[in-house]
Amino acid sequence: MIALTTPYLWYTTRATGMVALILFTLVASLGTLVANRIGGTIVGRFEINELHRSLSMVAVTFLVIHILTTVLDSYVATGWISAFVPMTSAYKRLAVGIGAVAFDLILAVWISSLLKLRIANTTWRFIHWFSWMGFATALVHGYMTGTDSRSGFGLVVVASCAAVVACAALWRFFGRPTRAAGRTALSPLATTKAATRATPVPPRATPPAPRPFPTSPARTTKQRGPR
Amino acid sequence: MGVRRRSGSFVLRVNPILCDGFGHCAELAPELVQTDEWGYPILRSEPVPLTDAGVFESARYAERGCPRQALHIHRISEKKPQ
Repeated sequence: MIALTTPYLWYTTRATGMVALILFTLVASLGTLVANRIGGTIVGRFEINELHRSLSMVAVTFLVIHILTTVLDSYVATGWISAFVPMTSAYKRLAVGIGAVAFDLILAVWISSLLKLRIANTTWRFIHWFSWMGFATALVHGYMTGTDSRSGFGLVVVASCAAVVACAALWRFFGRPTRAAGRTALSPLATTKAATRATPVPPRATPPAPRPFPTSPARTTKQRGPR
Repeated sequence: MGVRRRSGSFVLRVNPILCDGFGHCAELAPELVQTDEWGYPILRSEPVPLTDAGVFESARYAERGCPRQALHIHRISEKKPQ
């Protein structure tokens, strides 16, 4: 058993935990922006998506550092098993256990996203819903174990992260755009949205220039392959 | 392999059941994708030669960037079309 007695490991654990919480807040918010189809004018939609992906990598890196330093540090008796299996830690059994649940959920979301091009999209989406639960458990873990998160600035950070993601979740649930949300009055799906909308949707500022390739729907239908 | 990949051509295809009209493909590959009034893609139907590296790169970005994975690149070899 590696026992390292430097206090900096413990400081690193605390700092990276806080930074990972902030980063996962940003990742969840950006993911909500992608899902609610923000962007397309000033910032491209794909740019928000790319930022969501890149930041999730950074967040996972901080999370891994957070867990590595916790396990390596001899100040708290938390072993390798406790990082994955809940309720196995001698130190703060319940709170670290919730953190293990959060890590498992985030790991599932992360691995499924790495395999995104190889697995069915519906599978990926199903696993991706668990990121909300992963964030919630991570937040509870941060509040329960955090040395800094129950008073002062740390509490402000944790409460802000909770508030931001709660707003994102509500927006995701209630503000979710239907398919073809109000693009045109001809769309049958636009009626429910248009009834609640105060102002009609303005047309796009610059209509796309006509291109030489044929745009007949009949031809594109014929070209479509099976999946 | 690199040589063989450059012979032939490709078309971008969409699975219309998976597509939800996010519009990422039209941003990532404007050479190949237009959107209709509802935000769904209209794809360029004639094959693009693989020697057109810029367009092929755009197509790969669009394939990777689709939130529903509804796009895929269909390669057409030179010897046996389709």
